[in-house]
Amino acid sequence: MRPQMIILSRVGRTLLLMLFAAAGTILLVRFAPGYFTDYREMDTRYSQAAQSEIQAEAVQQQSAGVIAMRMVKSWLRGDLGISRQYGVPVAELIGARLRVSALLLVRGILCGWLLAICTALPISGMRKGGILWGLPFTLLLAIPTAAMATACILAEVGGPVLVLSLIVAAREFKFLRNLLESTWRSPHLLQGRAQGLSPRALVTMHILPNVAPQLRALATLSIVTALGALVPIEVIFTVPGVGQLAWSAVMNRDLPVLVTVSLLMASVVGFAGMLSTRAVTLEEA
Amino acid sequence: MKKRIAAAILLALILGATLVVWLSPYNYAFQDRDAIMAPSTPQHWTGTDELGRDRTVRVAAALLIGLTGATAAAVITITIAASFGLLAAYSPSPVAAILMFLSDVFLSLPWLFLLMMARSLLPLTASPLQTAVTTFLVLAAFGWPACARAIYRGAAEFRSAEWMIQGHACGLKTRQLVRLHIVPHLRPLLLPQFLICVPAFIVAEANLGALGLGVGEPMPSWGAMLLELENSALLARSQWVYLPIALLVVVLLILESFTTEIDY
Repeated sequence: MRPQMIILSRVGRTLLLMLFAAAGTILLVRFAPGYFTDYREMDTRYSQAAQSEIQAEAVQQQSAGVIAMRMVKSWLRGDLGISRQYGVPVAELIGARLRVSALLLVRGILCGWLLAICTALPISGMRKGGILWGLPFTLLLAIPTAAMATACILAEVGGPVLVLSLIVAAREFKFLRNLLESTWRSPHLLQGRAQGLSPRALVTMHILPNVAPQLRALATLSIVTALGALVPIEVIFTVPGVGQLAWSAVMNRDLPVLVTVSLLMASVVGFAGMLSTRAVTLEEA
Repeated sequence: MKKRIAAAILLALILGATLVVWLSPYNYAFQDRDAIMAPSTPQHWTGTDELGRDRTVRVAAALLIGLTGATAAAVITITIAASFGLLAAYSPSPVAAILMFLSDVFLSLPWLFLLMMARSLLPLTASPLQTAVTTFLVLAAFGWPACARAIYRGAAEFRSAEWMIQGHACGLKTRQLVRLHIVPHLRPLLLPQFLICVPAFIVAEANLGALGLGVGEPMPSWGAMLLELENSALLARSQWVYLPIALLVVVLLILESFTTEIDY
């Protein structure tokens, strides 16, 4: 297949995934019990006729098709709909918080990768004691994000970036160590070591170029891991980011915000995955 | 050997927790109004929480509920994943593509976000037992896509296996082939997936609970017990507040040790 066609099909697939994610969110909220409950139905000042009218109006608005049309219109207008809990355009809400979350994600992923790679590289080359050195990461894997964040607050050590970095590092360390261990054992590496190449030369000239495609795929997984951890971290540390907004939208059944956050997350995951697989496919092509 | 030791510790923990729940004079919901936020006493070995509930009983019950719920959810997830993966692997390629695309839709959103969204949209007025069942059902309902992918890949490889061709040549029906040959061959793949799911579900429940979306009070759960750590008055009075998190980490480390040899 031609590279242009590969790119086109990947973009199409990612867009379709986003569309399905948005449709799924709308359907999930549409069928949530009590979502369309109107407080006016409890108000005795409204006459029977008015109550019936309110109910008829609610029924009309409950159709998933109507909700989807309303969402599409708001997307075309550019305001992404009006938040149910804050009463302001979602674009305004998201715009202010996007930068905070993006910065946290970038810092967390970079620090996490730095920590994982700096630890996995020497440990993977060890003949003995590798498992012992890797124990802290195993321990980190066994601590839920929320507990880690709470522990940081209690100990007054670190903050959201540290927790996110530790989560990413713990998750990636395992993969990186396995990957690097198998690379260290490959014949050309053994040959290089036998010829007396320095560890630095081995790493920069042989190991890293060899594992680059797998590292790219792992980087995509890191984004998904970090996005998943974003919600509890932002909620516990009260970081005014997209994760906290998503949590508040979920608690208040704020459909326009939920759909936008779902689309945002699906697009980040989709395009990150697309970039890593596209790079590998293009290299193969 | 290591796995046997881990299994023995886990079994001992389960037995201990069962005995505590069974033999203790207190129920996990019983509130001792004379011993609110009490430190360790002969009546309450590990103290009580802010409502005067015995921590030992609550931690033991949380361990049993968490393990039972996560195991049941993992069984459901693996069943859905196996059915889905097998259906995709032995369907015509357009059907397989649609089925795998469906699993990709679930995978396109971070798991915790998806769980949080699904859990919060379920009934607000539910009993604690209903919330526990709902939480673990939500975990099971959204945990299958990654496993289904792995099973699909494994099952697709069997299509060209010699025993498969032999089975077809002998006139075995697809249903017979699946029951007699494919499922037994998939067992080495299903067991690791199950073992990965159990700790993952326990962690997810703890995270959901910490966000206020897990098992409802007064039923004890890891997530709800983590919320105790936010009570600074409780932390100042007793070190036993850290017991749930310590035990949770031990349980998760034991469960993780079962999966150490598995290639993710």
